[in-house]
Amino acid sequence: MPKYRSFIRRTALVGVVAVLAVTAAGTAGASRSTKSGTTLSGAGSTFVAPLVAQWVNPLGSAYGYELQYSAIGSGGGVAAVTARTVDFGASDAPLTSDQFKACNGCVQIPWALSATAIIYNLPGVKNLIKMNGPTLAKIFMGQITAWNDPAIQKLNKGVSLPSTKIAIIHRSDNSGTTYNLTDYLSSVSPAWQSQLGKGVAVNWPVGSGQRGSAGVAAAVQQTVGGIGYADVAYSLGNHLKFFAMQNRSGKYATPGLKGILAAATSDQKPTPGTNELSIVNPPKKYPLAYPISTFTYVIVPTRSPKAPDLRKFLFWAVTKGQTFGPKLLFEPIPKSVLVVAEKTIRKIQS
Amino acid sequence: MSSAELTVESTRRPISGRRVRFGDLLLQVVAGTAAAGATVLVGLVAWKLVDGARPSLAKYGLPFVWHVAWNPVIGREIYGAGSFLFGTAITSLLALLIAAPLAIAIALYLTELAPRFLRGPVTALVETLAAVPSVLIGFLGILVLGPFLQKHIEPALHSALGFIPIFGSPSTSGSSIFTAIVVLAIMILPIVSSISRELFLAVPRDLKEGALALGTTRWEMVRGVMFPYARGGISAALILGLGRAVGEAIAVTQVIGGGVFIHWNIFSTGDTLGSKIAASYQGATSKLEVGSLIYLGLILLVFSLVMSVTAQVIVRRVARRQGTGHV
Repeated sequence: MPKYRSFIRRTALVGVVAVLAVTAAGTAGASRSTKSGTTLSGAGSTFVAPLVAQWVNPLGSAYGYELQYSAIGSGGGVAAVTARTVDFGASDAPLTSDQFKACNGCVQIPWALSATAIIYNLPGVKNLIKMNGPTLAKIFMGQITAWNDPAIQKLNKGVSLPSTKIAIIHRSDNSGTTYNLTDYLSSVSPAWQSQLGKGVAVNWPVGSGQRGSAGVAAAVQQTVGGIGYADVAYSLGNHLKFFAMQNRSGKYATPGLKGILAAATSDQKPTPGTNELSIVNPPKKYPLAYPISTFTYVIVPTRSPKAPDLRKFLFWAVTKGQTFGPKLLFEPIPKSVLVVAEKTIRKIQS
Repeated sequence: MSSAELTVESTRRPISGRRVRFGDLLLQVVAGTAAAGATVLVGLVAWKLVDGARPSLAKYGLPFVWHVAWNPVIGREIYGAGSFLFGTAITSLLALLIAAPLAIAIALYLTELAPRFLRGPVTALVETLAAVPSVLIGFLGILVLGPFLQKHIEPALHSALGFIPIFGSPSTSGSSIFTAIVVLAIMILPIVSSISRELFLAVPRDLKEGALALGTTRWEMVRGVMFPYARGGISAALILGLGRAVGEAIAVTQVIGGGVFIHWNIFSTGDTLGSKIAASYQGATSKLEVGSLIYLGLILLVFSLVMSVTAQVIVRRVARRQGTGHV
């Protein structure tokens, strides 16, 4: 028994020493890295988080910056930068005029580009079945309730669709992904536009709400006949089935890099002042375009004590930083947008 | 109240008539500050809520409370708490209706019926249930309960009792008011059962044995002696449980599905005051929306205060009637 006790004591001692050693090493490492550079802190969009995560190391070695990003959701990011608790916020939906006013001298810069996939769960039916905007709008409005509805069947000749009931699953929290989808539905369906409109949350007439892309995806996977939506990187990463969407040229496009690029090179220019830029449902002459693509934004105060570092970081993000995008299904932002982005970045002064 | 002050007064006065000792003074100050702090905190919370809700209070006034509408889309904003108030009431009341008999049965079993060797472990387990964080119970709701209820319980209830409007057609996905009710019932259960157990344990042994000696059955003893003795306490426990159900936000957000409508069908989706605030506060896009969400919080606070006062009144009245302070 005494032997046993001394064994415990010895093990405990070794453990404590080990923990202390690790902690010491950790703090030493941390203090070394903070000494060599500035910390830039950001918060917001979960959509853009995987891309920002890719930037941490290269930014550290290029400029010695320590980039800290908390993926707390677009809304949280806007709130955080408004309260100036972070150096930049990231949001998938453009700021509303109330949010601009509250943020008091913030600019919004499009800095990444991706798309929203419409995911579904229909066992025995292949991936990428065809869908068009008006039909999708009717589905989300609860006017089409079964998978073998003639409207869906007409688009998918030769595919045998079951009579399974459609279960709509949407976001219950405020979300840039919801903004992207409802922006699209508003542009393809006058009925949607007049009854529901676009926003980070809308007054869904049917379906059930879930928190976050993860919540929506989980519910879709659990529900036979379910239809939901999530950003494309998430949908691909989790092996969900999604629709091929018909664009204005009548072609069906998938939310891949080609489709997103084609949508982004369409004519739309950022709105002067707010830099708001919607690329949903692009014109006919882009036959490859995926119609539910979106820019996502970084929001920065124009007056910042870290202005020189913020400018340097953002220039890097919209140029070099874009090269990390494609493997995560973020298409580099096109030249026309880059010009506007760089012009806006220059407004950040200390 | 005056008698309470009198006792405090008399114990504080030093027995030997010497002057107040430093330790006593310190205790007085520390405890007094703590009590004052709690009061000030409630006041501050109420003030902040009223202040934050101002845009919505100014625009909608009192009708906000019963108006059924919630549309945050810029340009067509309109807000009202009606459907959330309904959702809060129906989920918490039905959860209580499910949990109360179960909880009291558990408490009775643990105090009167269970074999002695089982009482300890089962009591510990029931109490552990109270310690499970609500977000985990929410997960249980999403992953296990929701699909199970949707596939098995809801269709069964609908086909057997479908003539009652609340058992309408089963939900399309696992999220529904019903799932939220069951999740809330699970949360209330350990609170009510552990308080009831304490109350039953406090029933004097001679009363119980006296009843049994008079030839009552065990059930008659429970009904005739234990229930009347513990009635006030159980009512308070139920209201405490109801308070928990009314205020729960996260777990409900996870399973209730959302929606701005009043349906009698409990298998449809809905929202409660708490779940709406939890879902929408982050990223609210306009001042009016933020104000309206805080207004929901204000309603929730008033709701909870009313309930807590009711509980206190019940406890006090029963205590007075029984002539004991024991509840």
